[in-house]
Amino acid sequence: MNQPMIDLAGISKVLKGQQEPRTILDGVDLTVHAGESVAIVGRSGSGKSTLLSILGLFDRPDSGSYRLAGDDISRLPERKAAKLRSSHFGFVFQRFFLLKHLTAAQNVAMALVNGQGWLPRRQRRAQVMEALDRVGIAHLAKNRPTRMSGGEQQRVAIARALVREPRVLLADEPTGALDTETGAAVIDALSAATHRGCALILVTHDRDHAARMGRTMSLVGGVLTEQVRV
Amino acid sequence: MRRLSGRFRSALIIGLQGIRARKLRTLLSMISLFLGVLAVVTVQAGASIAERALMSDLELRSAYDGTLMIDVMPHAKSPGIVADTVAGRPDAVSLIFTQAIIGEPGVSPINPGAAPFDQGGWGSTEVCDPSGNCVPGPPTGEAIEVALTAVSGDLLTFRPLRHVSGDWLDASTVPSLSPRLVINKEAAKGFESHHVPAEMRINGAKQNVTPQIVGVVDDGDIQPRAYVRHDELTNWMPATALNDPNFGMPIQVLTYPGGPVEQVLTAKLRGAGVESYPNLIESRKQMEDQLKLMRLIFLSMAGLVLLIGVAGILNVGLATVGERVEEFALRRAVGTPRSLLAGIVLAETMLTGLFTAAAAIGVGVAGLKAVSMLLGDSEPLLANVQFPWDAGVAGILAGIVAGVLGGFIPALRAAGIPIATVMRA
Repeated sequence: MNQPMIDLAGISKVLKGQQEPRTILDGVDLTVHAGESVAIVGRSGSGKSTLLSILGLFDRPDSGSYRLAGDDISRLPERKAAKLRSSHFGFVFQRFFLLKHLTAAQNVAMALVNGQGWLPRRQRRAQVMEALDRVGIAHLAKNRPTRMSGGEQQRVAIARALVREPRVLLADEPTGALDTETGAAVIDALSAATHRGCALILVTHDRDHAARMGRTMSLVGGVLTEQVRV
Repeated sequence: MRRLSGRFRSALIIGLQGIRARKLRTLLSMISLFLGVLAVVTVQAGASIAERALMSDLELRSAYDGTLMIDVMPHAKSPGIVADTVAGRPDAVSLIFTQAIIGEPGVSPINPGAAPFDQGGWGSTEVCDPSGNCVPGPPTGEAIEVALTAVSGDLLTFRPLRHVSGDWLDASTVPSLSPRLVINKEAAKGFESHHVPAEMRINGAKQNVTPQIVGVVDDGDIQPRAYVRHDELTNWMPATALNDPNFGMPIQVLTYPGGPVEQVLTAKLRGAGVESYPNLIESRKQMEDQLKLMRLIFLSMAGLVLLIGVAGILNVGLATVGERVEEFALRRAVGTPRSLLAGIVLAETMLTGLFTAAAAIGVGVAGLKAVSMLLGDSEPLLANVQFPWDAGVAGILAGIVAGVLGGFIPALRAAGIPIATVMRA
């Protein structure tokens, strides 16, 4: 069997606020292989975003181990984590977080102009156009987000996530602000990345979108369990 | 190195994008900083121009900075030794000082003792014989007394006399029997109001001569003075008569320090028992001491104004970072290191500082040009004055420093924004 792309074992996270500590994740185990898609569902406040933060190296677990392609990255210093986020991860958020003063192409290029190596302008432009083309909006490259629909903006965000050819794509409720039809198109665009060997982890409330993923995991009370599909 | 270059370029590109996206905020930052940078540019330009003017005045009265001035004390052998040593040498010139009365014959000058014309007379009009018996001199008439400087070569090599009109003494021609004079502005003032017949009386001359005035210079001297070729004067009088061993002034030799003239002349003088005093002209050093304190005071004031500008950049910078929390969090999410985020903010404020410096320098150049055009005629110091390059450099440095200082705290804040901001938005 192939080595898993992501291998979480016994991940725990306790939120230490002003009041009593609250366990957000309690011994989470998760294995995701390259090209596999996994949906994570759960109620609001169940810890989905915290889990995604740990997966995306935004946050560190209190205990447990996190292996990426076999390497232990549970306690990575910030500098190395930033490098890894750039080279291995793509992120898509519910709010698209496009910069209004930049064109679609410049928004996508943001993931390339991030201080992690330097690409010549021509090569950068080619990669950006390819990413936009993959999500079907190359013709909108020079448009600013303010002149785009929600679906188009989310596609730009997906192109931004894909432009560095990530090995893991993390999507946090990417269809939350979209209508059903547009949401389905966005899921199509995300799923297409798995055909190129990218592992996709989708956090969603939408059962239909979850059903389109290879597996569905449910997060309840900080414990992650796989849902059996009928 | 390559990684640094990539980060630097990234910071500049993103910084420029940020400036273009927030033109109004950039303008506000520039306005707050503008006066501070302009103050630095103005102080530096003013100090440079004042330094040049002071330097120019000092050199006008003495000699170019670095010139060696040797005072040879009056002695019967002094004129001969000096003349022999400097004759035909382009690297030295001797100056012999005496006085002459130019005007109608048989009258006393209107300014005895070669006094400035608005100060009356410095000396008596009495005529004394060698035994000390003095009798009242002839009545005052249309004659003026000038300090006369006999020069052995091209004085302009050592002193920046300013041309006013006519020509300078041409040392390459055959000496004229009618000594050619170049007078200074004060002497010209006297000749303007006293149109005197030309007869020049010098103590010790075999006879009075008819001079020709060929030019006017500004030598910074308040006394009326005339410059004459030494060889044209010695047509009419022995060289020794020009320098009275008892009452004469020291002969001055201008040359380069450590040169052959210095060595030969001092050796000869020492051999003849003539005292000489070398003095290196160090106008810049003398002037720098005078200017240092003044410049420090003005720069401190400019620095205070600049600090207000820094506070303005800091204020706008903090507001901008607060507005861009999501952008910075997102940039971190896509792999931008904290150091680059800080670099982006610093690049923006630094570029803002640079743009402000460019604007302030532009205003400085235009202002100086306008002042030069308006006041250049009445103030020679300001005529055709060029904007000093060091004021431009000071402006750019002030802009960069203010940008970095003003952007430092916003940069730290930007670098500290947690990525989770985008997750919980």
